[in-house]
Amino acid sequence: MAETALRRLEPAELAAALVAALHRAGAGGSPERAVWLAQALRLVPPTTRASLYWTCRIVLVSGKDQLPVFDAVFAAVFGEYDDDAELMGARGEKNAPQPAQRPGIRRTPAGEGAAPAVQPGPAAPPAPAPPAAGSGVEGPDREAILLTASAEERLHTTSFAELTEDEQAQLRLLIGRLRLAAPVRQSRRTRPTARTAGRLDLRRTARAARRTGSDPVRLVFARRRRQPRRLVMLCDVSGSMEAFTRAYLTVLQAAVASAKAEAFVFATRLTRLTRQLAMHDPDQALARAAAGAEDWSGGTRLADGLRSFIDAHGRRGTARGAVVVIFSDGWAQDDPADVAAQMARLRRLAFRIIWVNPRKAAPGYQPLAGGMAAALPFCDAFVSGHSYDALAELASAIRSGAAAGPATATRRIL
Amino acid sequence: MGAPEEGPREELRQRFPDPAALAGALDDVDYLADNGLATALFLALRLPQPILLEGEAGVGKTEAAKALARVLDTPLFRLQCYEGIDAGEALYEWNHQRQLLGIRLAEMHEDSLDESDLFSGRYLLRRPLLQAIEHPGPRPAVLLLDEIDRADAEFEAFTFELLAEAAVTIPELGTIRALHPPIVVLTSNRTRDLHDALTRRCIYHWIDYPPAERIARIVRRKVPGSAAPIALEAAAAITRLRALDLVKPPGIAEAIDWASALDVLGTEHLDARAVEQTWGAVLKNREDLAAAKERGAAWLAGGGHG
Repeated sequence: MAETALRRLEPAELAAALVAALHRAGAGGSPERAVWLAQALRLVPPTTRASLYWTCRIVLVSGKDQLPVFDAVFAAVFGEYDDDAELMGARGEKNAPQPAQRPGIRRTPAGEGAAPAVQPGPAAPPAPAPPAAGSGVEGPDREAILLTASAEERLHTTSFAELTEDEQAQLRLLIGRLRLAAPVRQSRRTRPTARTAGRLDLRRTARAARRTGSDPVRLVFARRRRQPRRLVMLCDVSGSMEAFTRAYLTVLQAAVASAKAEAFVFATRLTRLTRQLAMHDPDQALARAAAGAEDWSGGTRLADGLRSFIDAHGRRGTARGAVVVIFSDGWAQDDPADVAAQMARLRRLAFRIIWVNPRKAAPGYQPLAGGMAAALPFCDAFVSGHSYDALAELASAIRSGAAAGPATATRRIL
Repeated sequence: MGAPEEGPREELRQRFPDPAALAGALDDVDYLADNGLATALFLALRLPQPILLEGEAGVGKTEAAKALARVLDTPLFRLQCYEGIDAGEALYEWNHQRQLLGIRLAEMHEDSLDESDLFSGRYLLRRPLLQAIEHPGPRPAVLLLDEIDRADAEFEAFTFELLAEAAVTIPELGTIRALHPPIVVLTSNRTRDLHDALTRRCIYHWIDYPPAERIARIVRRKVPGSAAPIALEAAAAITRLRALDLVKPPGIAEAIDWASALDVLGTEHLDARAVEQTWGAVLKNREDLAAAKERGAAWLAGGGHG
């Protein structure tokens, strides 16, 4: 049905319309791409649906994340799939990108809260759940002694769960001041050094010798540069963590913006938020992050979250030699043995694993929650991070090569 | 980007009027591309725009670039990216040692040596980017920037600046402009988000893991000795393994390794015994091996009776 209509369409018109639809759906789409598509459609005339699909996808999509949105928009513009065997074969494969959500738009990327206008029927995206808003607004009555203390002092030690909205905002400023820096490692690049401690750099010595009549008067030594290790933050945003999610997202945002960290959140599934958080205005970044992830305050699948992190990102290099910080209370629905297996995998990749559990600060806390108990042997440091002061402790745990003080967990060398 | 050379352009147009023609040509050099990949490479060739290929390890990203170079019968310049790679390793560098040697030799032979002699092409170490730009033709070279995500973000930006200009300025020599801007293929393993500036300038293709029949066809191309039934059986077994929850799911490379191993062992049909002998060619992780052994060699070999 669409076939005959397609041949009548001008490539330029078709390209412009599709790009506009994609742009409304929040999956890129720039005028530049429309020009390419018009050219490409001249080169590959869309005689079949499959060839039209591939041409449009190859030119318009610029990342795997955009594929589900693209597929949905394409289906909306050109009608649903008829049984095109080749297409289905190509997309029904097990490892096809995010196969479960092919028919509809599930993700609404940041900044595009509005529903795409091109969606006629089945593919209306669910509005992203709001972030953990207003958590702790009706917190417990403050004690008199806290009222007399200066506001900032109070912020330093009060659990995030008890802060009001205004205080949260102030806290954000405080967190922005935290210096999050990972320990360094040796880079492959070298830099000249005045001291003779390094390795002799023959290449630079030879270059310097050209100034002195090709006699190597000055020997140039090089030592390897030092570079901060990669910092990876995984934050549990499930229901049980709701009171702390906001504060931790602020930490994530600060880490992404200042220490080039990678940020992920998980509850029932894993979402990468690095891109959404990578802007210097925390409020905007958090709003984008809220739209980027979709399972706020759901249940926790700790082992699944860790597995999908390691499979999709960690093993490919994100976690290798990195400092991995996990924010979670360890209350998970899945089998502790699974959690232990995934933590063992992570342990083999990461340089250090730091676990932040806000419940640790409660008097008489014992890491008895199944997931937590299973994960603990694999952690290098176990900190509470329930208040600003405790976050300072986290910052020092990230920085240090050694474990952090009495809060240290037992460490097993595997 | 300079005046396009009409001759070679026209030749490409005649040789590859549509993606199917390119797919056929790729087939001739033993690379099996499906409709999507053939369209992607066709557009990279004809638009022309750089193309970014992503996909799981072992789906043939690098191989695609090599096959494209073979089809065009042009050299492939490959730049393997790694963290800390810089212009000296990607573009060009002066060969200082050789320059000094040249000066010394000139002194000994009492030759006159001009500065311009020292900074001539003779003393220039050409790295892949410069080689690709200098390629004299008649068809454009293929430039493969492998695993671009491993390089630093600054290097990424630098590379693209260069490719957009298709020209290199070496202060001592002047500007070298590409007669035939290379066909650029980038691959990425997604260890980090690539910069917007890069993704904006590329067309993109995600290579899916192929179904069993395609794997079998690929295996038979790569392992000439392997008979049709065993290639198909091995491919089906690999697909079965991928359905398990494995740490490192076997890919096309494993299928080829496996078929070669079975071929060397002289196996004619995949059975439990053959599987027991060759686990190591397929699964390369202890936990995966344990998980697969739990299901049993017979399950892997035949599916039904086990």
